[in-house]
Amino acid sequence: MSWLHSIRHRLRVFLHPADFQRELDEETRFHLDLESMQQEHAAQGGLTPAEARYAARRRYGNVTSLHEETRRMSGLGFFDLLRQDLRFAVKSFLRTPGFTAVAVLTLAIGIGANTAIFSAVNALLLRPLPYPEPDRLMKLSLSSPASAHGPAETDRVWSYPKFAVFRDAQTVFEDLSLWMDFQLTVTSEGEAERVRLEFVGARYLPTLGVRPALGRNFLPEEDLHGGGPKVVILGDAFWQRRFSADPAVLGRTLSVSGDQYTIVGVLPPGFSGLSGRAELMIPIMSQPAEEINQAWSHSYYAVGRLRRGVSPAQAVLEAQLLGGRVAAAYPHPETRGEVWGATARLLDATRVDPLVRRSLLVLLGAVGLVLLIACANVANLFLVRAAGRRREIAVRLAVGAGRGRLVRQLLTESLLLSAVGGAASLLLAWWGVTLLSTINPVNALRAQRLEGLGAVSFSSIHLDAAAFSFAALMTLVTGLVFGLIPALKATHPALTAELKEGTAPEPRTGSFRGLSSRNVLAAGEIALALVLLAGSGLMIRSLGKLLRIDPGFRTDKVLTLWLNAPPDYGRDSLPGFYDVMLDRLRGIPGVTGAALGDCPPLNGGCNVTGMYFRDRPPAAPGTSPDIGMHWITPEWNQVIGVPLVRGRMLNGSDRRGNRKAVLVSETAARKFWPGEEALGRPVGLGQGGFSEDTAYVVGIVGDVRFGTLDAPPMPEAYVSIYQSPRGRMMVFLRTSGDPVAAAGAARRVLREFAPGVPVYDIRTLESRAGDAMSHARFSAILLALFAIVALALATLGTYGVISFGVAQRTREIGIRVALGAGRGDVIRMIVGQGIRIAAAGAAIGLVAALLATGVMRSLLYGVAPSDPVTFAAIVALIGLAATLASWIPARRAARLDPVETLREG
Amino acid sequence: MPPTPQKKSELLKGTLDMLILRTLTVKPMHGYAIAQHIERLSRDVLAVEQGSLYPALERLQKQGWVTSRWGDSPTGRRARYYTITASGRRKLGEEISSFQRVLLGIKGVMRRRA
Repeated sequence: MSWLHSIRHRLRVFLHPADFQRELDEETRFHLDLESMQQEHAAQGGLTPAEARYAARRRYGNVTSLHEETRRMSGLGFFDLLRQDLRFAVKSFLRTPGFTAVAVLTLAIGIGANTAIFSAVNALLLRPLPYPEPDRLMKLSLSSPASAHGPAETDRVWSYPKFAVFRDAQTVFEDLSLWMDFQLTVTSEGEAERVRLEFVGARYLPTLGVRPALGRNFLPEEDLHGGGPKVVILGDAFWQRRFSADPAVLGRTLSVSGDQYTIVGVLPPGFSGLSGRAELMIPIMSQPAEEINQAWSHSYYAVGRLRRGVSPAQAVLEAQLLGGRVAAAYPHPETRGEVWGATARLLDATRVDPLVRRSLLVLLGAVGLVLLIACANVANLFLVRAAGRRREIAVRLAVGAGRGRLVRQLLTESLLLSAVGGAASLLLAWWGVTLLSTINPVNALRAQRLEGLGAVSFSSIHLDAAAFSFAALMTLVTGLVFGLIPALKATHPALTAELKEGTAPEPRTGSFRGLSSRNVLAAGEIALALVLLAGSGLMIRSLGKLLRIDPGFRTDKVLTLWLNAPPDYGRDSLPGFYDVMLDRLRGIPGVTGAALGDCPPLNGGCNVTGMYFRDRPPAAPGTSPDIGMHWITPEWNQVIGVPLVRGRMLNGSDRRGNRKAVLVSETAARKFWPGEEALGRPVGLGQGGFSEDTAYVVGIVGDVRFGTLDAPPMPEAYVSIYQSPRGRMMVFLRTSGDPVAAAGAARRVLREFAPGVPVYDIRTLESRAGDAMSHARFSAILLALFAIVALALATLGTYGVISFGVAQRTREIGIRVALGAGRGDVIRMIVGQGIRIAAAGAAIGLVAALLATGVMRSLLYGVAPSDPVTFAAIVALIGLAATLASWIPARRAARLDPVETLREG
Repeated sequence: MPPTPQKKSELLKGTLDMLILRTLTVKPMHGYAIAQHIERLSRDVLAVEQGSLYPALERLQKQGWVTSRWGDSPTGRRARYYTITASGRRKLGEEISSFQRVLLGIKGVMRRRA
């Protein structure tokens, strides 16, 4: 059990270092006392006590150094040396405050930016989902083969009947459930409020491993068939807000979209469903049976929890197998010959859209490069500093300090510096994380039609233990990286040559042109900066191209808001309701136009349906083309500025009872009637009462991008809400001044006119359109920021190297000038040096950048990863920076007075 | 270049450890007694600085071969007594046999020379 004794001993020493010293003293005293007695005794009176004591000490050896050795043996010596080194380091840093400040700041920026981005990566990509045993959770999807309608899809939503087939046959999941993100209006207990909720199965919460904090989960009998009991579980935040966290809320009713729901439970804090934003949970089965029982009306996500011991791979296999059974149970109604299937994937793998994942990783790579540059810069500073301390180090080496000891001391200095930088970096990281978590992910993700559980993850970006550990690790690694090279170099034995000369030796002129480590570091910094500049340049070019895309409408001076017509208005009374409402809104001062539309542009997720041609033979089932279908009031095109190309706009005569009118977009006209006139064609649309009747194309309007900016325009059709009324509409108000100024008045008018109608999500059209690019803009801005920091650091690094070189060559330059070199020659020589470093760095950087930017391909729009314009521009920028960095010291050198320098030398 | 002091003690370290362990097999002793014992038995051949015993004792404790406890000496003064552990005895056994092997080797060489 030697290790037990050993550990006990070590613990004792480390926990009571003061005892250790005291006992050592006592033991020594005891020993010396006995030995001097012994000496006195042996000499038989020939020695005085003092002489005996002296003899004993001689016999014992050097007490101080033996004590030191004992302490070193015990391991405590490490701390003694550390304290000594730290004191020395602090002193030497305080002597050079400028150097210290620059180095600390550089490190703080490098480490802080890394910690912030790491926090985002951790929250969005690494940290497990906040549910028990998240690796057993899988997302189940339907899949469809490629067809005339589009490519194959592997991530489609479910209908209840299909899910039921799957659920009843499966053997690999312990629990599985459907869920769907939805919005409804809550009217009881306070103002009418639009809330986000999830329709869920009774097994939803158990699948995720969540228990209600209060009350109960849904019962099996509440999950049996459509038209089931109307019950609701409240989210914690909703419960706090609307019920002041009243525990007696159970059993009370909540009025949701006109129906009374009995409150049966409250969710635990922090849980808001897989959508990340649900305030209520309502059973899927509380909806009418006819909505639920449609096998080919898909709208639900499915999640399952694997049985213990079942691997995800087994679940994937079984999903494939059962997909066939589902398809057999519900063959395609139009017998397209398509056979659908089912798939399963780990829920964790679906939580972030691949595009977000990729851009985060690119950003992580970018900040990593920034940190490398920061390290190179600080290493450079250290090298310069070490050069100034050559004599000190040489003397210490000469008087017998071991090289290891000196390296250790220099490393202590660099680690101390990086620790201070790391501490300062937390401030920066905190700021960065706060900024990141304020991104409105819901809008950003929806606008990009990004899939995934981003909402769950975005809200969880914060500085946590993982981020702190990351920062600490970065601090340690950077301290070692930038400290080790200078430390080894500074203590190189050859330096003892320093002592042989009385003064600092003339720097080897060759080193100026040759590959001194400082030049290599500066060139490396430039290479790294170039890679970053290339990445951000490409993103900016890409963003510029996105911004130049014409979305097909005018985003300025338009206010938008959602409203839901009251449920008691039927289809017949809706047009009148809208007419009066729009008239009232037009009466608001500053409002020049008002219209309704069912889906804002650049929003994604608009309605798509089939297109039929009444003047052609009926298409084979399932081959009719897709078209976007929009419900508008006639002024809509004018209010948001969609131009008429041919024919007429919709107008007041397009009412119920009259011939049905349709506007089509240019793309639709070109695609469906190539080389023919589209106007006047009889058509049908798959929805809104346009599938049975024949409608006529009355006008062709400009293309509008309803999905994303970078997706080409789709064929679109517009019909009047007066021929096909709809309850949920967006109000578009064109204003003469700032649209936000009209928001209050619009809200007031609507509340007076229709008190029970919830009005929500009031925003300018500009900000909605901005969402569509928020992601691209976000990546571009961050990358640009990193690139600027990198360029600044690299420029600073080059400047440092050149100006240090100039300082060392003062004498040489003096001689040159004395021998007749002109100022221009001196400047040219020194700037040439800077350019040479930059050229070497740029050459390496170009190759690296061409390799690195390939990973950005999917993030770019309209720009190739090797875009020559971008690359030419950044090479020019680097050249400029290098010239600037060397021109300042060059001018200083050129102004040197040769007489002065030679006399000083 | 003269050998540095560290190098000399390096040479002695193993031997000193072995001597201390061997000494402690007799009975637990305090540092001074160990020094006396070694000096007496080695007939001052190994003129060890007495103080260098203590770093060695610390090293042996760290290895877990020796433990120590404070107790009263015959004069009534407090002293730290060192005891060899079971693993210390094992270690000593290994040291002795390897030492004997080396010794045999050296003897063999010497005899041939003679």
